[in-house]
Amino acid sequence: MQARLTKIIVLSVSLWAAFSVWSKPLEFHITLKDHVFTPSQITIPANTKVKLIIHNEDDSIEEFDSFDLNREKVIFPNKKGRIFIGPLPAGRYEYFGEYFPKTARGIVIVEDSNVN
Amino acid sequence: MRILSIFALLFCSQVLADGIVVDKVYHPYVLPNETEFEWRLLSRQTDDGNLLGQRVAFGKSLNESLMLEAYLVGEKTETEDFGLQAYEVELRWMVTEQGEQWADWGMLFELEKLHQSDDWEFTTGVLFEKEFGQTSLTMNAFVVYEWGENLEEEFETEFRLKYRYRWMPELQPAIEIYSGEEFFGIGPAFMGIYRIDRQKQVKWEAGFISEISQSGKDHSFRLALEYEF
Repeated sequence: MQARLTKIIVLSVSLWAAFSVWSKPLEFHITLKDHVFTPSQITIPANTKVKLIIHNEDDSIEEFDSFDLNREKVIFPNKKGRIFIGPLPAGRYEYFGEYFPKTARGIVIVEDSNVN
Repeated sequence: MRILSIFALLFCSQVLADGIVVDKVYHPYVLPNETEFEWRLLSRQTDDGNLLGQRVAFGKSLNESLMLEAYLVGEKTETEDFGLQAYEVELRWMVTEQGEQWADWGMLFELEKLHQSDDWEFTTGVLFEKEFGQTSLTMNAFVVYEWGENLEEEFETEFRLKYRYRWMPELQPAIEIYSGEEFFGIGPAFMGIYRIDRQKQVKWEAGFISEISQSGKDHSFRLALEYEF
């Protein structure tokens, strides 16, 4: 009985772990330094949820803002913020930093293939 | 659409009591470092007369997921001049990160006290939003508990829905549905954002909701302006 219970627990944990890995969205990293996003252009797959991780290396707060992506996210100084976007159809989606909109700008290109 | 149908079945048939159902459809999102002033206006015309309600509020986010807002509520009815009617405190909780789950979820907790009497109202419920391409479906399902010296102690339910087309930041047309208190209303609405500088922005919302479950006249015009900084 105990052996069967152990098998069930091991199987459940394995399935949960497999599902966790399988369902983990693709991650893309962007750095904010001197109020500039680098890279300023990223390409992500169409119809797929992805996670953008923005590393704010400036000493000032910034707010990621995009009407195209329908996202707003405050990123505190010297911290990172995560933003989930998609699934999106192929296209070009602009974003900017609310505090430094002239320099902090970027584009997310959504493509059916050839993701970098 | 399945979720929409479930919510509609749950809430459309509820029989409720005494307040005004048409108000604001809440989004489940909170931004840290956000401070806002808000003004809402509601003008309701029925066969029995006109009612004008206004509320002014000051709100501030407490952290990355909680927003606290305090309201002063004023009303003018067919028998009473415009005056302070109630005070209200509201806490909005962003439960899930936007876009992380299949849909975005939040909760609302609201406590209201009438100005001139010992009457209270506590509202709580779920805030839901789901993106479908360039459109967003937002739904609120609330349970309201009323008690006090002039109010019969009772539970009520309310349901609000907004289906919005994110056309451009300044102008986003929508359809809104409100249900509760023997009221089922639907009508066009619009919202938009005008950016002033950095975090300073003005958000506006307007809607014209008509009651459709009864033959009598019952039209509500609602307007909301938020200054965020």
